[in-house]
Amino acid sequence: MTGYLLEIGQALLALLLAPGLTGFIRWFKARLQGRRGAPPWQPYYDLRKLFGKEVIVSKNASWLFRFAPYVIFATTVAVTMLVPLIAAPLPFDAVGDLLAVVYLLLLGTFFLALAGLDPGTAFGGMGASREMTVAAIAEPTIALAIFGLAVGAGSTNLGRIVAQTLANPGAVINPGHLLGFAALFIVMLAETGRMPVDNPSTHLELTMIHEAMILEYSGRYLALIEWAAALKLLVFFSLLSNLFMPWGVATTLTPVALCVAAVALVAKLAALAVTVAVLETRLAKLRLFRVPELLGVSFVLALLSVTSSFLLR
Amino acid sequence: MNDHDTLFAQLSTLSASVVLLFGIALLWRRSLGAYIKAFRWQSLVLSIAFALIGYFGNDHELYIIAIVLLVLKVFVIPWYLSRLQTRVGAEREAHPYVNVATSLIVAGLLVMLAYAITRPLVAVSRLPTRGGIPLAVGLIFVGLFVIISRRKALTQIVGFLVLENGIALLAALCTYGIPLIVELGVFLDVLMGFLVMQVIVYQIRDTFESIDVEQLNQLRH
Amino acid sequence: MLFSLLLIPSLVSAALAAAFRPYRTLVGWVNALLSLVALGAAVSFAGHAVRDGEAPGFGPGEMLRADALSALLMVCVAGAASLTLFLGPGLGGETNYKASQLRRYQLFINLFICSMLLAVAANNVAIMWIAIEATTIFSALLTTLTRTKTSVEASWKYILIGSVGIALAFAGTVLGYFDFVTLSGRAENALNWPVLLANAPSLHPEVMKLAFVFLLVGYGTKAGIAPMHTWKPDAYGEAPAPLVALMSSALFAVAMYAILRWKVVADAAIKDHYADRLLLALGLLSLLIAAFSLVLARNYRRMLAYSSVEHTGLVCLGLGLGPLGVFAALLHLVNHTAAKSLMFFLVGNIERKYGSPLIRQVRGLQTVMPWTGGLFAAGLLALMGLPPFGLFISEFALFRAGFAGHHPWLMGTVLLLLLVAFVSFIGHLNRMLYGTAPEGVTAGENGGWRIAPMMLSLAVLVVLGLTLPAPLETLLNQIVRIVSR
Repeated sequence: MTGYLLEIGQALLALLLAPGLTGFIRWFKARLQGRRGAPPWQPYYDLRKLFGKEVIVSKNASWLFRFAPYVIFATTVAVTMLVPLIAAPLPFDAVGDLLAVVYLLLLGTFFLALAGLDPGTAFGGMGASREMTVAAIAEPTIALAIFGLAVGAGSTNLGRIVAQTLANPGAVINPGHLLGFAALFIVMLAETGRMPVDNPSTHLELTMIHEAMILEYSGRYLALIEWAAALKLLVFFSLLSNLFMPWGVATTLTPVALCVAAVALVAKLAALAVTVAVLETRLAKLRLFRVPELLGVSFVLALLSVTSSFLLR
Repeated sequence: MNDHDTLFAQLSTLSASVVLLFGIALLWRRSLGAYIKAFRWQSLVLSIAFALIGYFGNDHELYIIAIVLLVLKVFVIPWYLSRLQTRVGAEREAHPYVNVATSLIVAGLLVMLAYAITRPLVAVSRLPTRGGIPLAVGLIFVGLFVIISRRKALTQIVGFLVLENGIALLAALCTYGIPLIVELGVFLDVLMGFLVMQVIVYQIRDTFESIDVEQLNQLRH
Repeated sequence: MLFSLLLIPSLVSAALAAAFRPYRTLVGWVNALLSLVALGAAVSFAGHAVRDGEAPGFGPGEMLRADALSALLMVCVAGAASLTLFLGPGLGGETNYKASQLRRYQLFINLFICSMLLAVAANNVAIMWIAIEATTIFSALLTTLTRTKTSVEASWKYILIGSVGIALAFAGTVLGYFDFVTLSGRAENALNWPVLLANAPSLHPEVMKLAFVFLLVGYGTKAGIAPMHTWKPDAYGEAPAPLVALMSSALFAVAMYAILRWKVVADAAIKDHYADRLLLALGLLSLLIAAFSLVLARNYRRMLAYSSVEHTGLVCLGLGLGPLGVFAALLHLVNHTAAKSLMFFLVGNIERKYGSPLIRQVRGLQTVMPWTGGLFAAGLLALMGLPPFGLFISEFALFRAGFAGHHPWLMGTVLLLLLVAFVSFIGHLNRMLYGTAPEGVTAGENGGWRIAPMMLSLAVLVVLGLTLPAPLETLLNQIVRIVSR
C-alpha cells in the first residue's frame, strides 16, 4: 500500500519539480550569457497563465489535435511512475521495465508528430518530419544504452539495475557503464530538444524541431504539452543520474531515506542542469543533416557499451 | 580474481575503450586538423595504458616503451603531420567514399566482428588484461576501414598510424608487450615508414595540386 | 665471421655512396665488387649446409642463423643483388639519371640489399619482420626517383599497401608470440624460430589459425598474392628497371620465405591442413587473376608484373601441396629469381631504346637489338615454362606433387590457366619481336658489355633446365626435411 502511495507521490514530485528544472536551466544560461534572466520559477507562472487562456483550434484540425496533448501528458506521467526517481524497488516495476519506458516515450513522440501534421500547416509537417528523423535513431539508442546496464544486472527491470549498481560500486568505471552514460547523454540532448540538436527557444523556420510541431497549440493544450516536455527532461535527467550513479536512491521506504533521496535527486538534477546549460552556451546548433552523424556516434557508443558489458560479465 | 587484478582489468579495458573511441572519432570528424588531434590524444592514452600495464603487471620495460611512444607519437609525428597539413593546404574530407553515418555504423559492426574473431584469444589468455583484446583488434579493423574509405592521402596516413597504435595495444594487452629490442625496432620502422609516406604526400601535392587520392587513377590496366 | 662477410659489404657500399658527393662511377664499381664478397659468403653458407646440415648461429640470443632454407635464399638474393649492381645505372653508361639521383639510388639499393639479406639470415621472427619492413621503406624511397604523375601514384600505392600489409604481418607475429607466452611464459628467445617450432605442437590451434591468417595476408601483400597484388603492376610499371628486377626476384623470394617459416610453425600447431588449404586457394586465385590480366596487357612492364603474380600463384600452390610441392616451389623460386631479374634488366634496355613501355610501340626488336631481343625472347619462353629452361622442370615437379597429392581437378585448372597465360605471352612476344621498327629508333645494342652477365643468367636457367646439380638437390632435400618435420 505504501508502495503505491509512494508511486503517486513520486509522480507528483516530478510534476512539481519539472517546470522548475526548465526554468533553472534557462536562468543559468541567461546568467552565463551575462543577462539577468527570468527567475527560475517563471515557468510556473507561464503554466498558470496558459491554463487560464482561451483555446483556439484551427478549422482543419481533427479530433487528434485535441486528443494528442492528453496522450502526451499521460504517457510522460506514466513514465515518471516507472523510473526510479527516489526509491528503487517500486510496485509498478513488475509492469514497467526498460522496454515499457522506451515505448511510452515513443508513444508520446508519435502523437506529438501526428499533432504537428494534423492542422496541415507547413511548419507542423516540417517539424514532424525532422522529429521523426531524430527519433528514429535516438530511440533504439536509449534502449541499447540502458540495455548495456541491464546485461550487467541480468534484468531489464530499472529497479533491479539500480540495486545492482548500488551493490557493487566499483562497476561505475566499467567501460560499458561509461560508454552507456555517454550514449544516453547525447540521446538526452536529442530527445528533449536541447542544443546542439534543437534550440528550445527559437522560432525560426530553419532551426525549429520541437517548437514547430506545437506551433498551433494554445491555452491549456499548450500548457499540457510544455509541462510534458519539462517532465520528459526531468525523466531523462533522473535516468542518467540514478541508473549510472544511484547513490542516494532509497532502497527502504523509511521517511528519512525518502527525504535523503529527494534531496539527492534535486542535487543531481541541479548538477546535470548546470552541465546542460554550459553545453548549450558553448555549442552551436548542428545543421540538420549533421544530426544523424551525432546520433550515429551515440549509437556506436551504445553498441560498444552493450558488447563490452556482454563480454565482460 | 583478486581486487588488484579486478582493478587492473577495469583500468586496462577502460583505457583500451578510450583508445578505440579516438580511433572511431576519425570516422566522425571531417577536418584533417581534427584527425591529427584525435591521433595525438589516442597516442597519449595509449602511452598511459602502457604505463598502467607496466605498473600493475610489474614489468618495468613497459615504462620505457610508454615514454618512447609518448615522445614519438604524441610529439614528433603529430608535429610532422601538422607541418604537412599546413603545407598541403586545409582540405577537408567532404565526400568520403563511405559517408559519415554509414562509416560509424560499420565501425560498430567491425568492433562486433573483432569480438567474434578474438573469442579464442580471450578464452586462452589468463592475463587480467584480456578483456581489452577485442577492442585492440577492433581498432585494427577501424584503422583499415579509415584507409579504405577516405579520399585524402593525409587521412590515409593517419589511418595507418591508428592501425599501428591498434597493433601496439594488442601487443600490450596480449603479452604485456614484446621484448624491448624488438619494440624499439618496430618504433624505428614506424617512424621511417611515416617519414617516407610524408615525402610521397609532398610529391603528390607537387604533381597533382591536391592530395585527393581519387586523382591517382591514371594507372589503369 | 661469415655473417659479417654477408651483411657488411652492402652496408659499406651504402656508406660509400652516401659519402661521395657528387656521385662517382668508382663508387658503383666498388659496390659491385663488394657484392661479390657477399655472394661468396652466401655460397659458402650453402656449402656448409650441404656438407654438415647446418651453419652455426651468431649474435646475442642466436640472432642470426643459416640453415638450409636461409642459405638457399641467401644465394638467390645475393646473386640477384650482384647482377643488379653490375647491370644498374651506377656503373655509368647510357642513363638519363642525374648524379644526385644516382647517389640516392646506390645508397638505398645497398640498404635494400642489406635488409633483404638480414631478413633471410635472421633467426628471430621479429628481426625478420623488422628487416622486411625496412625493405619496404628503402624500395619505396627508390620508386620515386623520377617524379612523374604515374610514378608518384605508383609509389603511394606501394608504400601504403606495403606498410598496411607489413603491419598486419606484425599483428600476426604478436599473436604467435602471445600463443607461445600463454603456454610457456615470457622468455628472451621466445621469438626464435627453432624455439617456436619446438613448442609448436602444444600451441593452441585456434589462436595459431588466426595468427596465420594475419601473417599470410600481411606477408602475402609483400609477395603479391592475390587479392593483395594490386600494387604490383603499378610499382613494377613505374619504378626504375634495375630496382624492379631486384624487387620482383629477390624481394618476392624473401616474402615467400617468411610465409614458409610461419607455415611450418602453423602446421605443427594446427594439426589439419588449414594452412595448405589457404595457400592452395590463394595460389589458384592469383593464377586466375594473372592469366586473365595477361590477355589484356598493353604495357610490357605490367605484363611482366602479372607474370610475377602468376608465378606467385604457382609457388603458393607448391607450398600447399606437401613435401613434394615444397621441393617444387623452392626450385621454382630459384628459377624465377634468375628469369625475372634477367627480364627486367632487358626491359631497362628496351625502354631506353624505344622510349615507351607500351607493347604496341615496340616492334622489330629482333632487327633493332638482336642480342637483347634474343635474350628477351628466351627469357619470356622461360617464364612461360618451356624447356630447356629451369621453370619447366619446376612446374613439372609441381604437377607431379599435385597429382601425387590427389588434386587432379586443381592441377587441371592450373594447366588450363597456364595455357591461357602461354597464349597471351606468345601473342605479345610476336608483336614485340617481329615487324619493322618504328620511326626514330636506331638499330644497335645499348648495353655494351652488360650483355655478358645477362647471358650468364640465361646460362643458369638452361643448366637448371637440363639437370639438377647435386648440391642444389641436397640443399632442397634438406629444406624439405626442415619443413616437413
